[in-house]
Amino acid sequence: MAAIISADGVDKTFRQLKRQSGLAGGLRSLFSRTYTEIRAVSDITFAIEPGEAVGYLGPNGAGKSTMIKMMTGILTPSAGALSVLGREPHTNRMRNAREIGVVFGQRSQLWWDLPVRDSFALNRHIYDIPEARFADNLAFLTEMLDMGAYLDRPVRQLSLGQRMRAEIALALLHDPKIIFLDEPTIGLDVVAKDAVRKFLARVNRERGTTIILTTHDLVDIEEICPRLIMVDDGKLLFDGELTRLRADLGSRRRLTLEFATDPGPLPLATATLSRDEGAAKHYLLEDEAISLIDVLNEVGRGHGLKDVKLEEPDIEEVIRTFYQNKSRLAGAAS
Amino acid sequence: MLHNITLIPHLVRMYVRTRMEYRGAMFLAWLSQGFSYGAMYATIALIIARFDNLGGWQWPDMALLLAFHLLAYSLGASLSFTQFRDIEEKVRLGTFDAILVKPVGPWTFLVFSGLNIGYGGHVILATGLMAWSLTQVGLAWSPLLVLYFVAALISAAMLTAALMTMIGTTALVWVRSRHLFSIFFGFWELARYPLNIFPAPLQMLMITLAPLAFLAFVPVAVILGKPVPLLGAWAPLASLAAGPLCMLLAVFHWRWCLRNYQGAGG
Amino acid sequence: MRAGAYPAFALTAFQSRLAYRNQVWASAFGELVISFAFIAIWTAAFAGQVVVDGATLPEMITYVMIAGLLYWNTDRLINDVGEAVRTGDITIFLLKPLSYPASLLATHFGHYVFDQLVVTLPVLLIVGFSVGLLPPASLFHALMALPFWALSWLMLFTLGALCGLLAFWLLTAFALEWFLKGIMALASGAIVPLWFMPGWLSGILGYLPFAWVSYYPTAIYLGKLDPPATFLYFGIGLAWLAALGGFLAWLWSRARHRLIVQGG
Repeated sequence: MAAIISADGVDKTFRQLKRQSGLAGGLRSLFSRTYTEIRAVSDITFAIEPGEAVGYLGPNGAGKSTMIKMMTGILTPSAGALSVLGREPHTNRMRNAREIGVVFGQRSQLWWDLPVRDSFALNRHIYDIPEARFADNLAFLTEMLDMGAYLDRPVRQLSLGQRMRAEIALALLHDPKIIFLDEPTIGLDVVAKDAVRKFLARVNRERGTTIILTTHDLVDIEEICPRLIMVDDGKLLFDGELTRLRADLGSRRRLTLEFATDPGPLPLATATLSRDEGAAKHYLLEDEAISLIDVLNEVGRGHGLKDVKLEEPDIEEVIRTFYQNKSRLAGAAS
Repeated sequence: MLHNITLIPHLVRMYVRTRMEYRGAMFLAWLSQGFSYGAMYATIALIIARFDNLGGWQWPDMALLLAFHLLAYSLGASLSFTQFRDIEEKVRLGTFDAILVKPVGPWTFLVFSGLNIGYGGHVILATGLMAWSLTQVGLAWSPLLVLYFVAALISAAMLTAALMTMIGTTALVWVRSRHLFSIFFGFWELARYPLNIFPAPLQMLMITLAPLAFLAFVPVAVILGKPVPLLGAWAPLASLAAGPLCMLLAVFHWRWCLRNYQGAGG
Repeated sequence: MRAGAYPAFALTAFQSRLAYRNQVWASAFGELVISFAFIAIWTAAFAGQVVVDGATLPEMITYVMIAGLLYWNTDRLINDVGEAVRTGDITIFLLKPLSYPASLLATHFGHYVFDQLVVTLPVLLIVGFSVGLLPPASLFHALMALPFWALSWLMLFTLGALCGLLAFWLLTAFALEWFLKGIMALASGAIVPLWFMPGWLSGILGYLPFAWVSYYPTAIYLGKLDPPATFLYFGIGLAWLAALGGFLAWLWSRARHRLIVQGG
């Protein structure tokens, strides 16, 4: 099957003003200013097949949004070739727009003071959606996203979770072939996050809509996207399945054992000691297969164990681990 | 193109309904702006009351100049001012990006989803003052004069919209454009006085780089049969051409800025 | 409450303006254009006459320049207060060991100093060297112009803050901003001095507080009031400032009360 999106050596550089600090710096900047070139996206290459769900992951400022903006035709790549649905997105922005849906997590596309329904109705005109198709889609989305209760309420009265569901519905009304979501779960509470994730996974599964989503929440990836593209500092770090990343890296969960009194040195076979603070000892669990029970069995009774804390690695941790293991993975990243 | 045009009424309806959610504030704004312009005009009337005329313009002439200035401005600005002033913020917040991912001409969307109905106070004051002044200045109306009057008004409104479009659009490339608006309003304020009272360099500036002389002075001087400095007999034609020409320039500028749009960065 | 914190507000406001380089140049350029325009308007009005109502053209040129310096743009002040009220940010100030009105005063004093140094002063110098400005009428008038200047600034600050705070009840600062603009255009004397107005109008406006913003300080500078009248009008101005300041304090206490009781 032909790729629905393909990026080949895509680059994007911005020119940014250097701010000068202090009163003297401020006065100086009245007369002269200096700029720095920022390479937000650097030599990115990947191909996405129709029907895939891909998580685009990276810390803040990694160039995720810039990449989304290029794929949606908002920005032109500085170098490289980019193709979406067989077209160059920037030069075919309007035609591209008809076939994609875009959700920006932190900027609303709904009309703030009007009922949700009105924004939907306007989109029917913007995208020329046939009447019957629109009614079907609206009914489906309203039910799936449980929006019935607030369809006639002004957007300003909605909770963030309700609003985000409406934003997603708005982006799907015209049956886009691809939906881009920029941080769709940011700021949502646990229940709302869960609803959004389940819905997106279902749209991908049942309607075959290709999903590209940026996030810095690993759970988004776990529940929606089998495939993960990881970037940092504009560069592609990893492209492949999440399970492979975990397996390759080891999950490196962090374990802290707290004792009533310092039990002395306590080396373990199941976990590696990373820091010893006497009564509190920090370990890393390298092997996915080892459970907390295994570790506790090894520690055994008699040390006066008081408390146990197990932390899953967050994205920063994964990326840190990733950097440490970069050489090892160099061959594995496609 | 046709798609864009059929969309206009829907966009306008959405915006009007939004404004109507706060109609009390809007009507208060109409009243306050009408009052404010009225007070400003009263001070000009006071100067003329004491000194008889300003550069050969007596109060009824001045009243027509002020009314034309305000009417043409508010017609043009309703299509442009708040919309393009806010581009700067839309770029910063990323909401401009949300416009670019719609299958609509961004200009159509921007202009008509914000078609400003807040100029009610301006329009009421301007038409009232214009009607009064026209009864005072004793024009020899002819079909040609009526045609010129209407065409010049449209051209002046286009000029306003075009200049605002150009200024605001600049924010797409240079991120900031507010300072250019303050320059615009500086010249805009001068444009309500007879051009002939200003020093020659300023006159020159106002028919070339900052062509706000065409907003009111040139057409009103033509209507009243008063001399137009620098332009002379070319004044009627120039005033009709100024709006469309600036509009054309604005179209090119808009396209160029859109092509070079860089987003908020990052 | 630490009094030392307030100058910091002024300094921060001053510094924050430096970041907007283009805005600074544009304001200075705009101010220059407007100044030459007003000079042209008065030159056209005088149309060769030497003295009108006891004022000469050079006096009028000096008048518009000084009156313009005194009437600063209150939009920023009204917007700041209006926004703080609208978004509820004003409640944050209630948590700080600071007086909100005092910090507002310090901030906008910083902005004023910035505007005078960076925008008005260069324009005054250019106009002074090219067209010429008159010195104060006498040492007495020069010395008295200074307290009148301070009074003018405080008066306009109080008026602007009042408009901003009224947004608390009217829910829109926009309309108030425009009402104040309209009143100031006519009643402050920033454009037309009271001596050119019909007697009945100047009679009324001469006793309203707005005239202390532009008209009286400039008239004192030009020596249009004799010493007894100067002191008398300074006293009336002070009384107005006290009355408006009292009204502002009362409004602020009402607003605070409402914020505390109703939670904004």
